[in-house]
Amino acid sequence: MRRTFIRGLVPLAALSLVAGACSDTGDEGGEPAPSGSGAAPTTGGTDDTGTTPGSVATGSTPTTAEEVQTGESLLDTVSAADVVRCGVRDDLPGFSSLDDAGEHVGFDADFCRVIAAAVLGDATKVEFVDLETDARFTALQSGEIDVLVRNTTWTASRDGIEGATFLHPTYYDGQQMMVAADAGFESIDDMDGAVVCVAGGTTSEGNVATEFARRDLTVEVQSFEDVDLLQEAFIAGRCDGWSSDGSQLVGLRSSFPDGPDALVIFDDIFSKEPLTPAVRDNDTRWAQAVEWAIYATIQAEEYGITQANVGDMAAGDNAAIVQFLGGENADGVTLDAGLGLDPAFAMNVVSQVGNYGEIFERNLTDLGLERGLNALWGDGGLQYAPPYR
Amino acid sequence: MQTFLTEDLAVPPPEPPRPPTAGPADWVRRNLFRSVGDGVVTVVAAIVVGFVVFRFARFLFSTGRWEIVRTNLKLFMVGRYPADELWRIVVALTAVAFVGGLIAGFVARRHVVAGTVAPDQPVTRRLVALVGRLWPLVVGVLLLLFLSSSPGPWLTAAAIVVAAVLGRLAGPYLPRRSAVVLVLGSIVLAAALVWFLTRPVGWDRWGGIMLNLFLATAGITLCFPLGVLLALGRRSKLPLIRAVCIAYIELFRGVPLFVLLLLSAIALGFFIPTWLEPPGLVVRAIVVFTLFTAAYVAEIVRGGLQSLPKGQTEAAQALGLSPVKTTFLIVMPQALRNVIPALVGQFISLFKDTTLAGAAMGFLDALQVANAATAQDAFRGQRLLAESLGFVMLLFWIGCITMSRESQRLERTLGVGTR
Repeated sequence: MRRTFIRGLVPLAALSLVAGACSDTGDEGGEPAPSGSGAAPTTGGTDDTGTTPGSVATGSTPTTAEEVQTGESLLDTVSAADVVRCGVRDDLPGFSSLDDAGEHVGFDADFCRVIAAAVLGDATKVEFVDLETDARFTALQSGEIDVLVRNTTWTASRDGIEGATFLHPTYYDGQQMMVAADAGFESIDDMDGAVVCVAGGTTSEGNVATEFARRDLTVEVQSFEDVDLLQEAFIAGRCDGWSSDGSQLVGLRSSFPDGPDALVIFDDIFSKEPLTPAVRDNDTRWAQAVEWAIYATIQAEEYGITQANVGDMAAGDNAAIVQFLGGENADGVTLDAGLGLDPAFAMNVVSQVGNYGEIFERNLTDLGLERGLNALWGDGGLQYAPPYR
Repeated sequence: MQTFLTEDLAVPPPEPPRPPTAGPADWVRRNLFRSVGDGVVTVVAAIVVGFVVFRFARFLFSTGRWEIVRTNLKLFMVGRYPADELWRIVVALTAVAFVGGLIAGFVARRHVVAGTVAPDQPVTRRLVALVGRLWPLVVGVLLLLFLSSSPGPWLTAAAIVVAAVLGRLAGPYLPRRSAVVLVLGSIVLAAALVWFLTRPVGWDRWGGIMLNLFLATAGITLCFPLGVLLALGRRSKLPLIRAVCIAYIELFRGVPLFVLLLLSAIALGFFIPTWLEPPGLVVRAIVVFTLFTAAYVAEIVRGGLQSLPKGQTEAAQALGLSPVKTTFLIVMPQALRNVIPALVGQFISLFKDTTLAGAAMGFLDALQVANAATAQDAFRGQRLLAESLGFVMLLFWIGCITMSRESQRLERTLGVGTR
């Protein structure tokens, strides 16, 4: 008799929990209804969870909307915390890896520092968060990181479904195919029925299948979690081809155990991979601040401002450059673009981290990467910053 | 009847004594080559073992390129802890060593007073016994010291040894009733040290095997009391308490640890309001390890409780002991003594599982260092994963074998299986 009572108790407790949850949601759903059309707040009420669901429902008045946005922008949170939490990785040579002192070095890591220099005035105020490929968007959505600078391709569904806002591409990449030099492949067309190995959880997987289908070839794609394991499989002959973004293949080839000549990278670029920093959706102020921090490096290179000459440039007589670096223009006015950044943010970025070309040169040139698409627009590349005025 | 029994169940007559062995050749013949089958098995096994040992030794001394470990030794040990704050770790370790020595001295004195240990053993003999007990740890530490390229680790080791010896010498002079003070003091000290280590540096700079050890220590310390309470709760006569305990245990034993870690790492932000500052990742990892392991500890302890004959409880009741006293003075000590092997197995498993936290939460724990080191400019693409992973294996093995040996010693001291 008592047994059955206890047995009944567990589902009962679960039931009461569910019931409680339901009645809660019922309350929230019910409350806005009197204030007008009940369907309206469906998009609004999710992020700023419910201390006062009513205020969200009436949020069409500008004051309330502004209040909500200023209260929630990461720009304020980051300034208050005095540190930028930047999602990176720790095992991608050239883009983000650890030196033996444990510091993050690389192209992506430097762009984290660019953001810290622009927002906080100090490039060292970065908390690097190492993320696995699968976890990166969840970490961004849940607020574990402020900005994702993790070698991430900007795609439509990531922009939409993953709730990320992509900013300006820091590196225009494209997928390529690498094979052993002695494998007898001259181009992708020779690789019918080949086994192609890629890193899992990336856009590379789908691109290979698409490219082989376009050429009416069959392919077997194998995914690996770890680059080291992929390389072992490749050396052991379990992969005919190794496909990834060109930037990664060049780096891997340059450090291949049997020497770079043992590998061939085909010229065909069969995908667009704009590697782009991302922030969370619905936070325009933070997105603008990060975006202009990135633009500052490109604009600085265009102006010819380097880490070495930035002091002279700021004191020089080119009014546009002086204004860009936070100095007073001819009328004695300092331009505050209203981005929520210090007027001298570009000065901080260039003096502490460098311009785009310097960041590229420092991290990627040794790997054997050329500027290519990432040259300035004046040099035939795609890197272009909107005017700063 | 009597005769039938003695005839049927009589002890068989003892085997005739073996002829005394005639040297090693005879021993080999009798133990390894007794028959043709034995001989084949012996030869095959010898070839396999010899091959493995040869390859392993060659890797260790010849083909292995250990420069990656030497260069990244600091990363492997303490992760990204800033170099000019390392003295804090030295201070913390020294304090822990001193208190450890103090407790060891106090306990030893109690044993002498109780007459379970003979006093006045020569110091050299005790040193030999200590090294014999902890040889994996001693060898490991010496190896690390010889790998390091700076005097810092040597000084640290010296400070730790001196502090431990001082504590051991002072311990016996503590007043008899200091046990409670020692326990409370250790808890306060632990909290103070954690504050001391994290205040200027922040959790995100912790890493290496230090982080694994810290997670394991904190998890073990916290999960044990919780597990004991859950075990008692599951045997409670109150239906609500029992239902809650059963639900808890079955829930946490029914989900993979890695999933819990991932959830707490990247999805906690969805469940707590935005104005609430979420706890740091290390704290979350400790909470997950504690909750998860407590469920297992509860089942182990419950097994121990069930193994006790009912007579123990009844005897205690007959003596007029209250239920609380019965549980904590009669039942629990015996139950826990019986489950030491299983408990320590669980704790060793927890220590090793801390590498999962590194993978799930992006900590730079020892395993992640092994991964990151092979991506460094100086080492990338050189197939050094075996070396760096091998070193991490060694670090964990030293920790686990030490825990295992100490638990066996504890079993012997408490006489598990002999009384």
